[in-house]
Amino acid sequence: MAVRDRAHDQQRPGAGGGELTDSPAVSASGLTKSYGERVAVAGIDFAVEPGICFGFLGPNGAGKTTTMKMIYGLATIDGGDLDVLGMDASRERREIKSRLGVVPQETNLDGDLTVRENLLQQARYFGIDAAKATERATELLDFSLLSDRGNERIHALSGGMKRRLLISRALMGDPELVVLDEPTTGLDPQARLAVWNALDRLRRRGVTLIITTHYMEEAERLCDRLVIMDEGRIVAEGRPSDLVRSHVGREVLELKLDADCDAERLVGSLDGRIQGHDLSERTLMLYADNAEAVLEGLDHDVFPTESALVRRATLEDVFLRLTGRSLRE
Amino acid sequence: MLDEPGYAGLGPRIPLREMMPVPRLAGAVWLRNARVFSKLWRGALLPTFLDPFLYLLALGFGLGTYIANINGIPYKEFIAPGLIASAAMWSSAFETTYNVYFRMNELRLYDNVLSTPVEVQDVVAGDLAWSASRATIYGLVVLAVVAIFGLISSWWALLIPPFVVIGSICFSVIGYTFTTLIPKIDLYSYFFTLGITPMFLFSGLFFPFSQLPDWVHVVAWFMPLYHLVEITRGLATGPEFWSVVGNAAWLAALSALLFTIPVRALRKKLVA
Repeated sequence: MAVRDRAHDQQRPGAGGGELTDSPAVSASGLTKSYGERVAVAGIDFAVEPGICFGFLGPNGAGKTTTMKMIYGLATIDGGDLDVLGMDASRERREIKSRLGVVPQETNLDGDLTVRENLLQQARYFGIDAAKATERATELLDFSLLSDRGNERIHALSGGMKRRLLISRALMGDPELVVLDEPTTGLDPQARLAVWNALDRLRRRGVTLIITTHYMEEAERLCDRLVIMDEGRIVAEGRPSDLVRSHVGREVLELKLDADCDAERLVGSLDGRIQGHDLSERTLMLYADNAEAVLEGLDHDVFPTESALVRRATLEDVFLRLTGRSLRE
Repeated sequence: MLDEPGYAGLGPRIPLREMMPVPRLAGAVWLRNARVFSKLWRGALLPTFLDPFLYLLALGFGLGTYIANINGIPYKEFIAPGLIASAAMWSSAFETTYNVYFRMNELRLYDNVLSTPVEVQDVVAGDLAWSASRATIYGLVVLAVVAIFGLISSWWALLIPPFVVIGSICFSVIGYTFTTLIPKIDLYSYFFTLGITPMFLFSGLFFPFSQLPDWVHVVAWFMPLYHLVEITRGLATGPEFWSVVGNAAWLAALSALLFTIPVRALRKKLVA
């Protein structure tokens, strides 16, 4: 995987994650998966150290959910190796699942049961005895701030409450690893913050988290390390801040060009002063460590612009640079 | 996608060792269904009381007035034990078609269940066990009703329940197999119109086969309901031992033979 190796090379010495003292919680090599003709995952390698939050970013259809499903045993593996908690994911499904929690993308709570019953039923699927299950359910209702909602029906809950309950449900089996597929999609800012706080608490307890998202600020806030996937491949891997620095630089100069401004000549005139650029319709992004200086050096008579904005580079810039700006459907 | 799960097919062969459910986990699946039923049973059971009552009224007391005896027993006594068997069949058929379909494709419950230590064979076993339990409850309600009407003439009828369990498992496996193989919900109308209803009418429940040509016997032999009706009628009127054993063996054998199909199909569908 050439692209991935480049991401490694660009990593600064000492800036990588912690030392690999334990064996990885999840590791994949050459992992592939197709649905008929469509290749969903096209040979990926990654390793998730225990105790960290590891992110999978990518546009829709990049292969994130399929990768998650292979980890938690709801998709078969076509090729390559996938080890989860030291076990072979294609052979030891039941054992892996007994130490794993899953928060699926779709809300699939049991609408015929109450909030508390949903948790108690989950405990039965893990073979947990009734007394222990009751104790854990009470504890986890508290954890997800749903203590006063235990006897309500599922449809009486808001979207944010349902998502928190899904997280609590995933924790009933006391997992070492929790896989969350887009845990905050469709939530309002307060509900999202509540989910983030819950995930922070989990990580402090030493639970390994694997999360997919296409919210960049979520990935920057939560993930210790992440990979960016596109069309079934991993196109970048590293710590969020390192990825921003190595792929984009510190700052972005965002120019809205006049109709008669020649973008190519403009970029050519800045040779050596910028780390890269992207053009989307009339908006030109210039990546540099000091964008203010680039702006000052620009001849506005030769290159007329409607507006100019200097801002900090974010993971979103990396994401769009690597996966393109065109719509993915 | 939600409305039409699509035809997934039978899926690859699974080694026998992986077909064996874990009783505790199948029990967890059973318990979920039982828990939900326990919230709804009052509304669900009332029609079960009324159903055999209406059949007895229309056929036993209405039509039966014009029919003297069948094989020496009054007509209402002739059909009463069969209504126990058909109640179990109808219950099994509804539970393993619409109810399972709804849990699987609309509520998406199995996606969650299968991400816990529960595997497909545990889900199938738990659901079948539940469907058979529910069908047995329904059958026993009918048994109670017809007994109250004085239509049971033998103490052997006390042995009916375990055979209703065996028959219900067989009906349930058939319905479950159908559910895991169909691409869309519309096909259930074929299942009921071409499968369940003809079986209800032509399994010797309402008229005996003794006067009919041989090929009718051959066709009937392939119908599970025929075998359960033979058992319940035998026990309600005084049984022949080998007939009961033979019919029960037929039902058990078909159940065991079919069990692998929904397991393979469901694994293909949900763990693709």
